[in-house]
Amino acid sequence: MRRGLMGWNPDELPKAALEARIARLRTAMARGGFDAVLLYTNLTRPSAAAWLTGFTPYWSDGLMLIALQGAPVLATALSKRVGNWMRTTDTLSEIVNTPKPGALVGKRLADAGCRRVGVLEYDSLPAGLHDEIAGAAPGIELVDLGGTFAAVRRVVDDAERGLIGRADGLACAALDEIDVESASDAGDVAGLVEKSARLGGAEEAYIAVAPDLDADRRMIRVAGSMPLGRRFAVRASVAYKGCWVRRIRSFARDDTAQRAFAEADAWLADAAASLSPGSPLEAQLSAGLSQLPGAGLHNMMSESCIGSYPLEPVADAPAGGYVVMTVALMLAGTPWLGAVPAFVGR
Amino acid sequence: MTEGDVSVFGDRSARLLREMAGEGIDVLLLYGNAWQNDYLRYATDFGILEGQGLAVVREDGVTLFLDSALEAARAERECTGVEIVHAPDLLDRVDKALSRLSNRRIGTAPARLIPRKLAARARDLNMSDRTGFLDRLLMGKLASEVDAVRRACKVADEGYEVFMKAARRGRADYELIAETEAFFRSRGVDDNFQIIGVGGPEVRGMAPPGGRRLKPGDMVTTELTPCVDGYYAQICRTLVVGEPSTEQRQAFALYREAMEAGIAAVRDGVTAADIARAENEVFRRAGLGDYVTDEYTRVRGHGVGLFADTKPHILEDVTTRIDEGMTLIVHPNTYHPVVGYLVLGDVVAVTKDGCEVFTGTPRELFGVPG
Repeated sequence: MRRGLMGWNPDELPKAALEARIARLRTAMARGGFDAVLLYTNLTRPSAAAWLTGFTPYWSDGLMLIALQGAPVLATALSKRVGNWMRTTDTLSEIVNTPKPGALVGKRLADAGCRRVGVLEYDSLPAGLHDEIAGAAPGIELVDLGGTFAAVRRVVDDAERGLIGRADGLACAALDEIDVESASDAGDVAGLVEKSARLGGAEEAYIAVAPDLDADRRMIRVAGSMPLGRRFAVRASVAYKGCWVRRIRSFARDDTAQRAFAEADAWLADAAASLSPGSPLEAQLSAGLSQLPGAGLHNMMSESCIGSYPLEPVADAPAGGYVVMTVALMLAGTPWLGAVPAFVGR
Repeated sequence: MTEGDVSVFGDRSARLLREMAGEGIDVLLLYGNAWQNDYLRYATDFGILEGQGLAVVREDGVTLFLDSALEAARAERECTGVEIVHAPDLLDRVDKALSRLSNRRIGTAPARLIPRKLAARARDLNMSDRTGFLDRLLMGKLASEVDAVRRACKVADEGYEVFMKAARRGRADYELIAETEAFFRSRGVDDNFQIIGVGGPEVRGMAPPGGRRLKPGDMVTTELTPCVDGYYAQICRTLVVGEPSTEQRQAFALYREAMEAGIAAVRDGVTAADIARAENEVFRRAGLGDYVTDEYTRVRGHGVGLFADTKPHILEDVTTRIDEGMTLIVHPNTYHPVVGYLVLGDVVAVTKDGCEVFTGTPRELFGVPG
């Protein structure tokens, strides 16, 4: 549940940027033969609606309706008493508070004479909302939006680059708080990192720890006091005004591993900065491992924001596209984890 | 997972299978995400943060399908006794798993959130809505679950103390929450629901922090809801930056009377409506009946447990029977026309003849140095 800083700042996210994004989507909609588009939003799947209007629900869920003309319509079960708050994050949409968002949206679609409506991630649309829409607009064809939204979404504008940069600054500063010599408890470290991110204005911060890399490289949300091993890793997934980054830093108390970790950090930073558009990202990074002697790949993941999830796996990225690369290596028998955000081809 | 957590989960799992057998349910399909996780958590003990999850609960075991690789890796470490499957193609994988079980009686919960693609196969897969069945289990808790809520309330009290110490003139609302979250992480609290209000009569409710800085005279309202071993406990309190004014104290006295009237009404056999009415009559007698309507307030309390806000909702039109073993928060939070939005709420566990109050923080309108 969101409890970090939320709110629209026109300097950070100009209205013109949001309007341009909606315009690009509408061009794609017209080309695809869609009379309207529906985007589901909740705090786990906020990113499509947030990209277009700035709105993220801290609670409950909603449906955003984008027609070929007119203001976006956000129908939400959030109470009208939080209407003022909603307007501090979304100044573009017509906001309608209703216990049945699907029914309201269905009626709007029917009244507008819409025939073919694209639904982002249609298969995942909650059944209750689907049934409300279908009940209110039985003659309308609901189809999956397919790649239409992703193609538009992958263009990263200056506003988004700025917000991602801000989120990354928070994540890096938060991880900088860790003093490897004095850090002894995973819970304390998680608290320190999260506090730093939130004091900096993070909208959200999910901190995970692999307390002892030599024993288990999988990361956990620490529940209770847990001692840190000789080598450990911390992942900071941080959001700033709807834009997410991940950073993983591995720490070692012995000089040999510290040197190896520093080399791996530098390698990943260079490799991510050198990614080329249009070809598989993981293959590019794997090929670059030859620059890090002794390193063996355990696994790798490339993520971006192309739909309603803040980050989801992607195979490649266009020029200027945003990705987060997460890598697990073995460095002469020592596990190392790293994650960095990058803009491809920049 | 702590020892206490393991034994509560064990109790829940045994109960779930017993009750499924009693209801003629062979298999349960449970959905969860970070916003609505209680149904999923009941059967898996996993606090999902990213992505979506679907659990298939059978007599011979539970399989948890997660579409996030990071969450699947985390679940492998954090969940014992549950098969974890990383399923990037979540719906297809679960559809296949259910297809292998389609000669069984499959219940789903919560029905509203089951993904459309799976719900559309209800007839083919012999699936039916069993949200009410899970709601009953979520509301009526085992003794070990009530103990878990009691433990969570202690942490909520401690968290509020940290929040109060952080509340000083000039600090931003999100900084107070940052301090509280840091405390919670260090105490092993893996999730928290918290909203905040800062200001005076212009404040109509609480929301996520928006960057308001505390100034003398401001009322700072918050409800914080730490999750301890899977169980959420909430506390609602109001503080004033500086010395509370006479008007603020008079308003607060009314809220305290309302909350205590609500708590006095709690016992096995009453309804949610009875509790709400007891709170609201205090406001009506004071000529503030308008402020107990949905124009100004959402609910007069609610259940707490595996989710921050569960059934029953405490409202005058909710006739849900209150049973021994439920855990509720009674909170007459609403707008006051003179001083603004005010909150006060304590968690109670329902007993045969009344209730046990778990919240220990004094029922005061606190003043912090301004």
